[in-house]
Amino acid sequence: MPEMTLVQTLLIAFIQAILIIVFVFVAVPLTIFSERKVLGFVQQRLGSTRVAGRLGGITGLMNRGMWWMGKIPIVHYFRGLPGLVGDIFKLFIKEDVKPAKADRLVYLIAPAISMVAAMMVYAVVSFYPGVLFTIPSWVPIIGGLPVAGAMADVNVGILILLGIASVGVYGIVLGAWASNSKYPLLGGLRSAAQMVSYEVPLTLSLLVPVILAGSLSFGEMTRGVATGSSPWAIPSLVFGFFVYMTCGYAEVNRLPFDMPEAENELVAGFHTEYSGMRFGLFYLAEYINMSVVAAIASAFFFGGPWLLPFGLQSFVPEACWWIGQPHWYIYVAKIFFFLFVFIWVRGSWPRYRYDQIMAVAWKYLIPLALVNLVVAGLVRYFA
Amino acid sequence: MFTEIIEILDRFLSFFEQSLAFLGHHLFLIFGLLAIVASVTMVFAKNAVHSVLAFLATMICTAACYFTLQAEFLAVAQLLVYAGGIVVLFLFVVMLVELSRFKENRLFQRQTPLAMFVVLLGVVGFLTMFRRLIFAPSASEALTLSPELAEGLDVAGQNAQAISRGMFTGYLLPFETMSVILLIALIGAVVLAKQERV
Repeated sequence: MPEMTLVQTLLIAFIQAILIIVFVFVAVPLTIFSERKVLGFVQQRLGSTRVAGRLGGITGLMNRGMWWMGKIPIVHYFRGLPGLVGDIFKLFIKEDVKPAKADRLVYLIAPAISMVAAMMVYAVVSFYPGVLFTIPSWVPIIGGLPVAGAMADVNVGILILLGIASVGVYGIVLGAWASNSKYPLLGGLRSAAQMVSYEVPLTLSLLVPVILAGSLSFGEMTRGVATGSSPWAIPSLVFGFFVYMTCGYAEVNRLPFDMPEAENELVAGFHTEYSGMRFGLFYLAEYINMSVVAAIASAFFFGGPWLLPFGLQSFVPEACWWIGQPHWYIYVAKIFFFLFVFIWVRGSWPRYRYDQIMAVAWKYLIPLALVNLVVAGLVRYFA
Repeated sequence: MFTEIIEILDRFLSFFEQSLAFLGHHLFLIFGLLAIVASVTMVFAKNAVHSVLAFLATMICTAACYFTLQAEFLAVAQLLVYAGGIVVLFLFVVMLVELSRFKENRLFQRQTPLAMFVVLLGVVGFLTMFRRLIFAPSASEALTLSPELAEGLDVAGQNAQAISRGMFTGYLLPFETMSVILLIALIGAVVLAKQERV
């Protein structure tokens, strides 16, 4: 690889950042839309089907025909999609109401902290081991240089990931406090306790792939777990995966652990007093965090860019080499699958009570994760 | 005409590169100054939550300083332990306390002259000890405790390995003693808190 100057390095990193932003801002609206549709499917209704209830235009004509034939029109099914644009537009143009007694500075920066902490995690996520594509040589300055599949596949990648993710709790707590209102404060306190508690089993369950791969770097861990782990490691990987997913759901405050915004008790939790795009930042941060949890789960337990999960990749015979190749789109497909599972779980599980949530974390998940860690260590030592 | 434009672009680019390189070499100073500003804000802020926020900023800037010294593991540990754990607990406590009752009205405490003297003494001592290091450019090589421990390792690239080698071979006893001391503090806190209820 040719030696790169500082400007070239920065420009390449800039291109990678834009690719990641494109990925995130395609994934998030799609998740929001599919959440409506999948929840509708789970609850035996159609989900959002129309923007303003009109049946005009070509789609309207086709829809009328299909309704007339007694069928649910397929075009009609996706007619809720423009409503998504309307949603985002509404977030932008809505008046930004600020409570009179709010702490101005903290109120302003809390959503930003949430959003930045959620986005920054993608800096160490490795989408593909090695070079993603090479920039054509006619481009000025950076022509002919390779663009790697990870922005920064550093030596302590997973620790950076956990460190940045742990800063995300400030967005919720500070937003709750700065609103100067009791329901957000209660919601914020609950969520802070919940997120701090669930960080412990989450980290413990992530130590299983660390031990099995013998590295802290994102790319090496993915490769080590997917291609180099022994068959005895599969049970502890599967178990660690379930512990991780449970903690991930609690970390991003999704059902069945969405205590901070338990509507029937706390209005809307920490973002009760937020409106307009500041609420939108919280909203986006939640979905980006979901995609981050999905990305980590699919990288460390589901084989990342390799096809088969839980280290089954090492049993693929030599003849089937095409299965053994890593591809970035396999990884992205896995992320989308886990985003779907988030919605699926939301549709099928009731909410836990607050003391039950804490009991799950401290009485069950932490001991189980510790036992699992010991098993993984034994596998690493003997096998 | 065309060549002139290219020449101007080229000159601009080289200037851009030079200034970037300058910034890159002095990132440590930038983040250090930011950390100092944040810690001064922490001391002088009247609102306790603002103090905690400034403390968080100090911790993050300190972590960034470690990053510029190529001590990635230390930086991330700083971020994880302080920013992710301890400051959250601070914030928790501060939020629960009725703030208006303890509002600071004066900027300085009563023992100012003595405290100022002690702080000045500390600053002078620090400056005389580290005067050669303060305005030096960022380190190009990572610092290690003892070179024989890091044998066969690229310390700048394999930070975690180098630190674990130091911890579990050269300095095992102090490391374990520290963890036992922390455990004792933890259990002591639980015992003290429990006594009132029984």
